[in-house]
This record gives sequence, structure tokens and C-alpha cells, in this order.
Amino acid sequence: MAGGEVKLIALVKQFGDVTAVDGIDLEMPGAEFFSMLGPSGCGKTTTLRMIAGFEQPTSGQILLDGEDMAFTPPHKRNVNTVFQSYALFPHLSVQDNVAFGLRRQKTPKNEIKQRVGEALELVQLTGLERRKPAQMSGGQQQRVALARALVLKPAVLLLDEPLGALDAKLRKALQIELKALQQQVGITFIYVTHDQEEALTMSDRIAVMSDGRVEQVGPPSEVYEEPSTTFVADFLGVSNLMRVVAHGDSDGRCRVTLGDFELHASRGETHTTGDTRIVIRPERVHLEPHESSGENRVPGIVERVVYLGNSNQIIVILANGDRVQALVQNTGEELTYKQGDPVRVYMPSEALRVLTDTGVAPIDEDALPPVGSVA
Amino acid sequence: MSQAVATPTATKEFTLWQRVYGWITNPWGKPRFLVLITWGYIVWSIAPVLIAIQFSFNNSRSLTVWHGFTTKWYFSDPVDSIWHNASYRGALNQSLKLAALDVLIATPIGVMLALGLARWRGRGSGASNFLMLFPLVTPEIVMGVSLLLLFTQLFTFVNTGTLAQVLGHVTFSISYVVVIVRGRLFSIGRSYEEAAADLGASPSAALRLVLMPLLLPAIVASAAIVFAISIDDFVISQWLSNGANSTTVPMLIYDATRATPLPSTDGLATVIMTITLITVVAGVAVFRMFTRGEGGRGSAVDDVAGFGM
Repeated sequence: MAGGEVKLIALVKQFGDVTAVDGIDLEMPGAEFFSMLGPSGCGKTTTLRMIAGFEQPTSGQILLDGEDMAFTPPHKRNVNTVFQSYALFPHLSVQDNVAFGLRRQKTPKNEIKQRVGEALELVQLTGLERRKPAQMSGGQQQRVALARALVLKPAVLLLDEPLGALDAKLRKALQIELKALQQQVGITFIYVTHDQEEALTMSDRIAVMSDGRVEQVGPPSEVYEEPSTTFVADFLGVSNLMRVVAHGDSDGRCRVTLGDFELHASRGETHTTGDTRIVIRPERVHLEPHESSGENRVPGIVERVVYLGNSNQIIVILANGDRVQALVQNTGEELTYKQGDPVRVYMPSEALRVLTDTGVAPIDEDALPPVGSVA
Repeated sequence: MSQAVATPTATKEFTLWQRVYGWITNPWGKPRFLVLITWGYIVWSIAPVLIAIQFSFNNSRSLTVWHGFTTKWYFSDPVDSIWHNASYRGALNQSLKLAALDVLIATPIGVMLALGLARWRGRGSGASNFLMLFPLVTPEIVMGVSLLLLFTQLFTFVNTGTLAQVLGHVTFSISYVVVIVRGRLFSIGRSYEEAAADLGASPSAALRLVLMPLLLPAIVASAAIVFAISIDDFVISQWLSNGANSTTVPMLIYDATRATPLPSTDGLATVIMTITLITVVAGVAVFRMFTRGEGGRGSAVDDVAGFGM
């Protein structure tokens, strides 16, 4: 089952005047759990459908183990799909659903029986062979869809938001199961999702997409910790983005001015000069008493405190007018800060990141980040 | 004491009109008025049918005065029973023949048209989908006249009689099949076909193994409805007939009622109605059987199927 290397070269898909996928280059090595992450309409599903063969690319190449598949019809590709709606055949039993692909391949009867059994065991559905899809729960249907695709031992498994229809708890459990399953079968999984948490949990690498383009590709920790564009920083959890004027590198750190305040940022494009943006994750923002002083500290007033359960989200208006979110773990102790309290916001230089502004900024700077969307 | 009682009761004194009005308009009450109207309509529409059925068993030539029960108009009367009268038997035969041929021809063509129209995107597809509804809204008399002119002036190789009648019935029946099957196709969506292709099924295998089984209920339902509207048809059959040997039951009943109505014409109507009812009920039953447990899916078709009943 080696292989499963997918390479997309300058892939473009247009629907009439709309460009859904606008020149994507991606390399997915074999046996990797690769996620395409982005908001709806970013072209991730269209890309997946082109790899599956349901859509024909307008231009570009899709290489599967070095062979261009762009014009091979879906039934002749060695890839299988788990659909968002599962698309289990309602008139067939679980057994017949899973055996469908093997029968198309003219597999001998006893081998079909054996492999269907193995596939159902893999997804822990042994004993439900006679059921019809409608007689099963959402989670079980999901597993049948997985078994139906995996039984064919494809080089690549495509998953189109397969957990989208399930409730939060089941989704979490299945995320871990899916990752374990991928490691067990050792084939390439290409996973499409708009849920950044899901992508971070399961993936070996993530491609963050926006407007039909890839913004950044890398391991979860890299795209989360070191977002290279404002879009990535914003899409992967709530970020504090601030417009600053950069003054270039001095001893490895970038000196920036935020209004009247001077800050030092030691991550990202520290050589930048001129107008740019800096970003800091809410969990890296510290709140200190108003009297404290030192580098990278900006005075502000607590505007709002939002209880999130495991943490408190504190929104502070800085003296220059920017809003900054801080995430304070809920340790059971009472919060020191209330609405209207003056505070000093400490943004450590090693947590401040200078971004290259790609212009793809979905951020409305004056609007508050949505409550509860914290990673 | 009297004061304490008087205050609340004073607010409860309604006029009769207010009470009736409140009873009807009470938004929390049972929908009694709605039920009343519904049952009123059902009784009103079924009563004449029941009366016709009743008088087909009348032991007299009268269609208005009840003289006791008999089945002689069906079987035993040597001249005027359905069983013995050649023209009755011929009409019944012609009606069933037309309906059967209509089902056999219109259903497959309609299914193929529905598949084509549902899949066709681009210039002209919208117009075609809309034009498909034309036979449903065209007055049948217009359709009948047009077809007669067509067959007598242009396509003169089609003689009036059974062939012309079958062509006429097929022409307007196809629309019903297309509308029902296309509705089902839309509710099924493309994902099952894509899943089949993804699992290695060629387009023809996907059609045979996945789409056809999923369409079967709609196909059966539309066949039942085609049968029902064909056997029921008067206008087109009349325009395209060429005399006694292409007379259908509705035509015969029409002529007989204008001349000397007999209980046996009611009997003919009863026979036709029974056959239609059985066909439609069987069709809908098959539809329900195959779509059981699909939960919500195909409800539009369900409506059409239910409408046919």
C-alpha cells in the first residue's frame, strides 16, 4: 500500500465567470494526513472534487504517484471518497454498500466476504451487516462510508467534511479515531474542513486556503504559531491583529510603533519597515496591574469580560484605541479585573509576530471577534 | 359577597355571536371548522360516485328510483349486461388497451426525458424544462383538435383510430412521468451517482445499480398515474377515434347517457373506477414500500403520488 503521493500543479477551476480554484500548487507525500482548511467558498471542496474526478480542471495537472489523472474519469482512479452526506446507497444493506466497489472490480465472492468483514471490523461495525443505512445513527453511517471507501485499498482517501453532520462530542471522538485509522492503514488522507480545531487535531500538514489560493502550508504547530499572513493568523483561532509602523531589525527584533507606544517583536518578518501588522494570540497576552512598567507594556481599560467555561476572555481597549483580547485560564480563583478597570497589557516580544500583509484580510478591525470562537 | 362574585362573572358574559366567533377563531382550539369543511367536501365529491355505483346494482332500468339489489347489469342480462353486450365489452377492451399501451410507451420515454432534462445544464435547458409542463396546462380540447389536424393534414400516414389515440395519450402522459421522475431525481441529487463512480462503477453501471433502484418508486407511481389518466380520458380519445371499433368506455358512457341511460353504463363506470383505483393504490403502495425508512426524502413525489389517489 505504498505510494499515494498527490501533486497538484497550477490547478485552476472556473465555473463560468467564477474562479473557484485559482492556480494551486500542492505536494502531498504518501501516507500523510493532509488537511485543506478554509472558509466556505475558498475552493477546498472543488479541489478535492477535482482529485476525485467529479470535476474537470480548467487547467493544470493532478499527479497521483507521478501519473497525470486530470482527465481520467472518477471510476478509473485509485482514490476513494467519504462524502459529506455519506451518500450510502439507501436501497442496499451495509454489507452490500461496502461490497459495492469490490463487485465492480470483479473480486471473487469469498474474497469479497472476507474483505468486507475486515473493513467492518476496522470501523467497529461487525454484526451490523444486514442493516440498511436508514436504520443506523449518523456516527455509524459515517463508519460505513469509511469502510466502503477503505475496503478498496485506495492509494488516497478523500474526506469532504465527513464529521460536519455529527454532534460536537461524537466529532471529537471520531477525530481521534480517524487519525488512528490513518496511521493504521498507512495511506494518504486528504481531509477538507472549515473547522480549524479539527485540522489542527488530526493533520500532519495543513494547507490554509482562501479565495481559491493556498495561503500557507505547514504542520499544525507551524501554521498556528507562525502564521505567515493576516488571513492565516485570523482564520486559525482568534488573533489580535494590530496595524503598526515597523522600523526594521535591531539586534534580531523589529521595533514597531503602535500609536504612541513602542514595541519590540522578535518573530516573523522582523526586517520589515513601514506600515504592516503585528499579531499576538490571546493566550499570550498578559494583563498586569496598571502601575506595572517595563518593555512592551501598553495601558488600557477592560471593556468586557466574557466567561467561556475553561477560560475568561477579556477584551481591553488600548490607549491608542485598538482592541486586544486576552485569554485567562479559569483556575477557580476570582478574576482580578472587572469591566472598566485600568490595566497594563503586556505583550512579550517573543509572542509578537510581524506579518506580511497579503491584503486578504477578512478582519473588520472595529468589530469585536466573535465570542466563543477561541481555539 | 355579591360584589366579589360579580366582578369576575361580569367579564365572562359574552353574547352568542362572540362565543361562536371565539370558538371558531380560538387559535389554541382544535381545528373543528377546518375538519368540518374538509369532510363536507369529501362527502360532496364522493356522494355522486357512490350513487352511480349504487344504481349500477338497481333491479330496474331506472337510474333514479331504487328497486332492490341485482348484479344482472354486470352479468346476467342477455342484451344489456356488460358481460353480454359486445359494444360494452369492446369499449372496455379498447380503454384497457389504450391505457396499457400508454403506460408501456410513455413511462420509458418519460424516464429518459427526465434523466436528460435533469442533467442538462446550459442554454435551452431552462426553456425545455418549462415547455415540458405545457401539455399539463394546455386545454385537452385544444390538444385534441391540434392532434386531429396533425394526423389528417400533415402526418396522414397516421390513421385515426387506435394508433392515433395511443399517440395522443402518450403525448400528454409523458409530461406527468417527466414531472414525477424529475422531482425524484432532484431529491435524490447527484451524490449517489458520484459515490457509485467513486467506487468504480461506470456511468451505465451507476445508472443500473444505483439510480434505477432509487427511481423505481417514482417510475411505478408515474406509471400508475399514466394508467389512471389514460383510462379516464374522454376528449382526446373522442377526437382521434374513427368510430365504433375505437370507442372507449368514457365515450360509450357519454353516448349512452345522452340516448337511453341504463344501469349497465353506471356499471361500466364502476368497473373502470375500480380498475383505476386498484392501479393507483398499488402504485402508491409500491412507492411507499420502496421509500420506507428514507426519512423525508422524495416527499415531493409522495405528494404527487398521494395526489393521484
